[in-house]
Amino acid sequence: MRHRFIPLLLLLMGVALPVAAAEPAAASFFPYPMQVDRLPNGLTVIRVPFNSPGLIAYQTVVRVGSRNEVEPGRTGFAHFFEHMMFKGTKNHPEGEREKVIATYGFDDNAFTTDDITVYYSYGPTAGLGKLVEIEADRFRHLEYSEPSFQTEALAVLGEYHKNAASPGLKVAEEVARTAFTKHPYGHTTLGYYDDIKAMPKAYDYSRTFFERWYTPDNVLLVIVGDFDDAALMASVREHYGPWDRQSGSVTVPTEPSQTQERSVHVDWPQSTQPRLVYAWHTPAAKLDTANAAIQEVLGSYLVGPTSPLYKSLVLDKQQAQELTPDASLHRDPSLFSVEALLSDEASLAPVRAAFNAAVKELVTGKVDAARVESIKSNTRYGLLMGMETAKDVALQVSWYAGIYGAPDALGRHLQKVSEVKPSDLVTFARRHLTAANRTVLTLTPAPAGGQK
Amino acid sequence: MRSPRVPSLVLLAALSLGGCATTPRAEAPPAPPPPPPAPTQAAAETPAVPATVPARPLRTPEPARLVVQANPASPLVSFRLVFHTGSVDDPRGKEGLTALAATVLAEGGTQKLTSAQVLETLFPMAAEFNASTDKEFTVFAGRVHKDFLPPFLELFTDVLLHPRWSPQEFERLRTRALSDLRNGLRAEDDETLGKVALDALLFEGHPYAHFVGGTEKGLESLTLEDVKAHAARVFTQDRLVIGLAGGVDEALQKDVVARLSALPATGAPRVELPPVSTQGGRAVVVQKPTLSTGVSLGYVTPLRRGDPDFFPVSFALSYLGEHRQLGGVLFNELREKRGLNYGDYAYAEHFIQDSGTTYNRTNVARTQQDISVWIRPVVPVNGMFATRGAVYFLDRMVRQGIPAEQFRLSRDFLLGYTRLWEQTDQRRLGYAIDSLFYGTPDYLEQYRAALAKMTPESVHAAVKRQLRPEALNFAFVTEDAEGLAKQLREPSPSTITYASPKAPALLEEDKAVGALPLPVRPDAVRIVPARAFMEK
Repeated sequence: MRHRFIPLLLLLMGVALPVAAAEPAAASFFPYPMQVDRLPNGLTVIRVPFNSPGLIAYQTVVRVGSRNEVEPGRTGFAHFFEHMMFKGTKNHPEGEREKVIATYGFDDNAFTTDDITVYYSYGPTAGLGKLVEIEADRFRHLEYSEPSFQTEALAVLGEYHKNAASPGLKVAEEVARTAFTKHPYGHTTLGYYDDIKAMPKAYDYSRTFFERWYTPDNVLLVIVGDFDDAALMASVREHYGPWDRQSGSVTVPTEPSQTQERSVHVDWPQSTQPRLVYAWHTPAAKLDTANAAIQEVLGSYLVGPTSPLYKSLVLDKQQAQELTPDASLHRDPSLFSVEALLSDEASLAPVRAAFNAAVKELVTGKVDAARVESIKSNTRYGLLMGMETAKDVALQVSWYAGIYGAPDALGRHLQKVSEVKPSDLVTFARRHLTAANRTVLTLTPAPAGGQK
Repeated sequence: MRSPRVPSLVLLAALSLGGCATTPRAEAPPAPPPPPPAPTQAAAETPAVPATVPARPLRTPEPARLVVQANPASPLVSFRLVFHTGSVDDPRGKEGLTALAATVLAEGGTQKLTSAQVLETLFPMAAEFNASTDKEFTVFAGRVHKDFLPPFLELFTDVLLHPRWSPQEFERLRTRALSDLRNGLRAEDDETLGKVALDALLFEGHPYAHFVGGTEKGLESLTLEDVKAHAARVFTQDRLVIGLAGGVDEALQKDVVARLSALPATGAPRVELPPVSTQGGRAVVVQKPTLSTGVSLGYVTPLRRGDPDFFPVSFALSYLGEHRQLGGVLFNELREKRGLNYGDYAYAEHFIQDSGTTYNRTNVARTQQDISVWIRPVVPVNGMFATRGAVYFLDRMVRQGIPAEQFRLSRDFLLGYTRLWEQTDQRRLGYAIDSLFYGTPDYLEQYRAALAKMTPESVHAAVKRQLRPEALNFAFVTEDAEGLAKQLREPSPSTITYASPKAPALLEEDKAVGALPLPVRPDAVRIVPARAFMEK
């Protein structure tokens, strides 16, 4: 096996600059060489050599998530279908794939988000050839019986149950349900509980879902680590080349503009810390705009660990235990939110007032430029700190490439983050962080009653 | 810096398949165990076992022992300070003191910097710094890019050498610890609640018994003076191993050692752990409003790393159910074939998932270990059946061993999979430091060498010596606690209905599963309301 990695030091030195240094070139934001090929059938194959002797990370990104669940009663289906992808083919009936995985010792699993579904295997390069074969086989020829489908639906129900003890799931459900009236982002990736319980009846729909979305033009392969590129690509062409389905299309409803503040309250039936969430509709992540990069900086700016709000509410007044931003990338217009885990119900009003004041200060144009630079440094060094293993790198590449639909999206996104100016935060806040565009969620433990 | 306790919206969007007394305290010897329950078939074949697991001391490295795994090519530097100090060092009535002391040190600021200034210093570096406490060990881990090494090193060592001891920070962090107990543990995480309940059951009356994060009364009683005094007595050089990895040179090693030589040389004497009863047949049912029933089962074992049977037993339990992997017997039988829940796993030593991975945390070494099985939540009507299923397949493995083909697959799996356990500097340091205490140098290499030599027969022999289904104890988290307790005290066959057709062989096997007598003594079933769990 040829080791075609580049020493880690050389790669990281390119971005190992002190905070005050000049902005590096865009290409250095992703510090590893990347090769990309697109097969005639539309399959995108991204390879990144990495210093992980004898190990590779192999990820398949399908650009489908709960965003694509447009039919009534089908919420949570993308996630459920992810489970079915482990059920076998004619060539490798159920259980056979697991034998291959076991033979090599791969860490093997998958996850689903609002926009993408990612399948990953992390383990010995020695198993790469076989992995290409079995992965291509299941994406081309998946087969499963209706009883198997019905049984797996119960495992998914179990997954909902294990998450249901935490108020976090309920918060996510209610914010989404309140903020969206048309777009499928109105439900979480797990889906509505009633829809999950009804999943065993959706066998025929599952076949439609597979045919519609599991197509080469809707998939990216991401391989990172120690591998022979020529041998890998030969194998990829052999096994994925004949895959000839074309992706279907559905009309994802456009969410109408929100014109009036919305609110929702949750009475949580058990003991918990109260919560306050502010969520605003914001633009999609597109590489031709800076909207996603601005949101990433804005989240840290408003409630990050060095923000005045964090110092005041968490450290000094201790009215909140945690402040958390959510500026995650989305293919369609989604939400930018800040959440406070409150010390008690009495903190609800002052924390709300503090949130309002922080936004007001921003829209009046007052921005701490030094903190903006600190956030940009954190983003840059955070990427370096977060790419210690081949799996780490693959996950980063998969996430950005999957959302943006471009193999080099990670570097380009970080370039945009590096270009965010204080005035961008002001402009963005003036446009999007308005009361009319806001959904407010409060959650309080039921025994103490709830404030609406 | 601390990860948010509450899942953020973005995290929820991504879904996967996937004490001690500062002086040794005299413990009353455990009461003699009552007569054991009816043995399973496997139990009849197991040799007699001692009634208690003794506290055979872990090895003690020399004070401030340095462990270095230098990689000059790396621009990242990892620090891992591991103190042989844990919740066993919590004085009686002050449960939670060690964990809180570690948190106040890590997050409460230094003499030079307030906690806010610490955050401002770390943030542009994207440096990582956290403290974690288990029963016997506390880890202060740090990671930084070499561009920021000098300021980070000063801060990292100042945290231990020159803490701020701010009353305001103490109160904030103590309040948070109470919330983590009252809300996080008792109300919001049924899976962890079940595991902590099993710990409390297995180690009743022992310094391991209480939640590492503390008890309600214990945390309420703590003062800043308690924390200051405790830190000085337990975060001492004689308990410390210093781990350095990545871009480390001689100068850095000397600098770190020189700085940490300012820690007190000695402090509190080491806690003497009492022997633990090996009796099985006990059950605790934690009652709380919940949609489902979570189950944890296990027993205390003298088996730990370094013992000849450890590797084969570890292998066998991986075959039964490697944590969050899809190939285990329990996963396939309970989830894949029967759709009972989201996953089912088995462990040869105490398992705590390392955040962001599916691997066991390092530096949670324990003198007295437990073997456990974890059944993720099932719908309540299937709680007893799932529990019986787990015991059934454990028992079957003990009786029948591992079929040759599955043996080969499981061995091949671990030969590859164990390499993933050592892919980061922090994890490599963690394994190297654990090896000092267990006396198991090159632990993972030794494991792979042992795997290569194992045979189905050698593993089965070790399994029969060490695995005892009849010794199991059970912890449940469920809403209808009285109903479940009644089923445990007055067992009747469990039945299960499926939404889809099943093979006749599986339905036949279900009858055997449903009829399996659980090794639970009717007089040893207790109900604990979640709201009172870990009250004192």
